[in-house]
Amino acid sequence: MTRWRAGLRTRVVAGFAAGALTLSVSMALVSYEITRSALINGRERSAVRSATFDSRVVSAGLNAERPDIAAMLRTLDTGGNRRVLVQHLGHWYARNADSGTATAVPQSLQRLVSNSGQGIQRVHIDGVPAVVVGILLTPATALYEIDYLRELDQTLRTLGWVLTLVAAAVAAAGAGLGWYATRHVLRPLRSVADAAQGITAGDLSARLDPATDPDLERLSTSFNEMVDQLSRRIERDRRFAADVSHELRSPLQTLAASASVLQRRRDQLDERTATAAGLVVAELGRFQSLVDDLLELSRGDLPAQLAPVDMGELARRAVQRRGLSPDIVRSGWAGADGEWLRWTVDRRRIEQVLVNLLDNAVTHGGGPIAVRVEAHGPDGVIEVDDEGPGVNPAEREVIFDRFVRGRSSGARGNDAGTGLGLSLVAQHVAAHGGRVRVLDRPGGGARFRIELPGVR
Amino acid sequence: MRPMAGVLVIEDDDRIRLSLSLALEDEGYVVRGVASAEEGLVAQRDDPADTVLVDLMLPGVDGFECIRQLRRSDDVPIVVISARDDTHDIVAALEAGADDYLVKPVAVKELSARLRALRRRGRTVQAMSTMVFGDMEILPEAGEVRIEGTPVAVTRTEFRLLCELGEHPGQVLSRQQLLQRVWEYEIGDERLVDVHVGRLRQKIEQDSKQPRYLVTVRGMGYKLQK
Repeated sequence: MTRWRAGLRTRVVAGFAAGALTLSVSMALVSYEITRSALINGRERSAVRSATFDSRVVSAGLNAERPDIAAMLRTLDTGGNRRVLVQHLGHWYARNADSGTATAVPQSLQRLVSNSGQGIQRVHIDGVPAVVVGILLTPATALYEIDYLRELDQTLRTLGWVLTLVAAAVAAAGAGLGWYATRHVLRPLRSVADAAQGITAGDLSARLDPATDPDLERLSTSFNEMVDQLSRRIERDRRFAADVSHELRSPLQTLAASASVLQRRRDQLDERTATAAGLVVAELGRFQSLVDDLLELSRGDLPAQLAPVDMGELARRAVQRRGLSPDIVRSGWAGADGEWLRWTVDRRRIEQVLVNLLDNAVTHGGGPIAVRVEAHGPDGVIEVDDEGPGVNPAEREVIFDRFVRGRSSGARGNDAGTGLGLSLVAQHVAAHGGRVRVLDRPGGGARFRIELPGVR
Repeated sequence: MRPMAGVLVIEDDDRIRLSLSLALEDEGYVVRGVASAEEGLVAQRDDPADTVLVDLMLPGVDGFECIRQLRRSDDVPIVVISARDDTHDIVAALEAGADDYLVKPVAVKELSARLRALRRRGRTVQAMSTMVFGDMEILPEAGEVRIEGTPVAVTRTEFRLLCELGEHPGQVLSRQQLLQRVWEYEIGDERLVDVHVGRLRQKIEQDSKQPRYLVTVRGMGYKLQK
């Protein structure tokens, strides 16, 4: 399995985005922190100031004969955001009767105030942040002032949102910058990709213009050299195959014609000579098929010559060519106009595929019992079934290699074939972008299944 | 009785020529072998054979030129027998005027069957009446094609192809059907049909790129329309 890897462009864009995000997030965090502590410190200072002021008022009141603490508290101008509590001789006094606020003053702060005379602490009261300032008035009396930070909290929250949005926007802008930059950087690479694609498709004249970008000159030059070398090599191979073809076929023609003369006069030969002549004729046939198959294999990288073909007709002909009954051909469901059976394939190659599979079934599978031509959406499927021993799972890949012969062919000797039939099948199918597999036929035997994508 | 069929073999490889001569003589043909196109052209002029077998790679004048020159003077059936099997050569040889193309090595039985089929493809077609397609007249019994009353020179194979299509006006015949009916191939090379159709168009159509009579039906075959 290949591990998934992001493309260069994706990685650059992600890198830019991550960089921008890191930068903007840290900037946002720092500014948030600075703003927050400045605001809170300011509020704390003002809370301490007003608590000190209030404590003086209350201290003065305490000197009276019978101090009414609650009435005293009511005279303080505390506004909506502040509350003043007084602890006197273990009792809590507040401006209003809501003694519940007494619990808002934490024990730790009370201890701190009674020990050191004053203290300040941040708390949450019913989910609302607040600052509590405590001042010891007399050893038995302490004043606590609660300053609610509701608005400050709101302000900080808004600030937080704004900074988050800014960070996200900066990250997006970073990604956009990366995308824009890579588009320009990758443009020359795309022309390389286009050229390489053209070459794969068989256009060996595709070259890069080395003058486009001085930074990429080395790439263009070496790419062009590589293509030159490749096309020289392909041309050499092609010429070699053509030469070999000619040099092998010419003597074979002489042999074939002479062999037929010998065969015609078999009766006039003595027994030993006739046997020898028979051997020559038989081996000549095998030699011819071998040469044909080898030449075919050597031309395998040529692109398929696609044209619309009536697959039903082609299958029946292939079957008849091998002296079998055309009844074994089943062409699946038939459309009203038979149009679905018209596939765009290389007629010669697909015919050879069928013939070779039929030969294989005859040699190793006790003869073919069904040939199916079916349409699966845009794809074409061809199946050839036999009722032989089937193909051992371990051998299912190997049998498509060159010169691999099935076990049963050793015993049959004469009809062993060239050992190239199935590799040609695989090669022709690959030229169509398809694949061939061996399966078990339900009920015994082998099933060769060919899938040709997008032929309909 | 029909005289023995004469075959002219133009092949520069002595051994192939000799072995083919022996084998074809066994099949009942009178064979004359020559080693070059020049000799072949002289032989065909002085003492015409019924059929010519020609190799493509010949010293001096090559096979393609040899076919063109033979075609200039008469409509003798020409069979190419070559070790070259790439499309380019096959199409070029057929376009030059060959009737059939066989790739070496050819089994003698197969070769003999091809020659017999060519011999049966006579100059004329009996038992068919005159067919008229617009300005074109096909006269099977006279073996003639006329465009606006003027006879057009077509080879026997081209003529048979035209007759087969003319017999079923407006009906599509697949390449394989035409190969069976004209060339008597069980399974044959469809390029034979395509190139012959192209040659015919050049002779009978005003604009062979936009044919008026001999029309291609994509993915199906050809038809001759009125």
